[in-house]
Amino acid sequence: MRVTLISPDRSVYDGEATAVQVPAFDGLVGILPGHAPFVALLGEGEVTVNHGGGVGRYDVAGGFVQVAADVVRVVAERADETIKEGV
Amino acid sequence: MAKARELKRRIRSISSTRQITKTMEMVATSRLKKAQDRVVAARPYAAALAEVIGDLYAPELAERFPLLRRPAADAVGRRPTAVVLITSNRGLCGGFNANLIREARRRLQELEGQGGAGGAGATELHLVGKKGVAYFRFTRRPVTSQRIDIGDRPTPQHAAQLITPLMTRFAQGELDAVEIVFAKFNSPMSTPPTVLRVLPITPPPSDGRTVGRSDGEGRGRSDSPTVRQSRFYILKPSPEAILEALLPLYVNNQMYRALVETAAGEHGARRTAMKNATDSAGDILDVLRRTFNRARQAQITQELAEIVGGAEALKG
Repeated sequence: MRVTLISPDRSVYDGEATAVQVPAFDGLVGILPGHAPFVALLGEGEVTVNHGGGVGRYDVAGGFVQVAADVVRVVAERADETIKEGV
Repeated sequence: MAKARELKRRIRSISSTRQITKTMEMVATSRLKKAQDRVVAARPYAAALAEVIGDLYAPELAERFPLLRRPAADAVGRRPTAVVLITSNRGLCGGFNANLIREARRRLQELEGQGGAGGAGATELHLVGKKGVAYFRFTRRPVTSQRIDIGDRPTPQHAAQLITPLMTRFAQGELDAVEIVFAKFNSPMSTPPTVLRVLPITPPPSDGRTVGRSDGEGRGRSDSPTVRQSRFYILKPSPEAILEALLPLYVNNQMYRALVETAAGEHGARRTAMKNATDSAGDILDVLRRTFNRARQAQITQELAEIVGGAEALKG
């Protein structure tokens, strides 16, 4: 499925993924290919994108996530790649 | 010879001016490129937000959300309308700022004339950018707020700082409407000053383009938006709650886009202005050089004639 992570001033991630975890307003939501059409508000937390080669982590806050026909759109007010601690 | 020397001086002066405008043109071109990229990068977010709001919106919801509420027809003009004018901090960009200011003045006049029975419609003016601030200080028009620290790389935070207080006041019923006067960025050559009414929110049209409707192209387009929405989506927490959270984001985003487009427009306008200046400096230089050469040649010819004349006289 295709995942895009968009913030007001840029596209943070755009590509294929096998699974994605999104912090919705009431807790983490895992989305796999074939998910039902879905719109939820985002809370604050970390989006995890599993793509073939590895895992991308992004800090997000506010906005919404939309799933439709194997396209996941995370539209966040704020979105940045997570800075890994201790690296 | 005096004339030739004068011409030489002007040629020097104009070619150094041309050098400067040429450099400014190049700087504006590279900044324009970056600013244009930011305009483009802002599009996916705006489109996604508009699409979802357009899909969730139904006219009967309008009364329940303060940000959507329109003033009753007989109350228009009772409360002030806020006009936010975005201008640039720097000049030398042709008529760019003058056009924006003219558009803002026209709009203010229009709003103030609308008052109707309740007297003149009140307006308040919020300024962004040095050029607007300088102009309205000159005309001594009272200004409600002004800021000049945004520069040509506006961020969504800047937009939020500008619009949030207005949004709060609008929601509390203190303002009739909020409008932004900015330069719409159609292309680097076309940046018309534009009035955008951000509050009350005009819901983006639901174009039925909702991503990946698996059941196909031709169908379902005529359904009413609310019915269609609830049939196709699981909505959490509820359509109303989502709408309530997203409407302020939509307003923020409109402000942000206005800032970004104006910044890009400024660089486009500056590039055009500087290109014109460089071109006309070149034209003037052509004429001056020709005149100079002619004057020099005339002098040489005259000196030759004098020498030949003198030699003839000696021979005689």
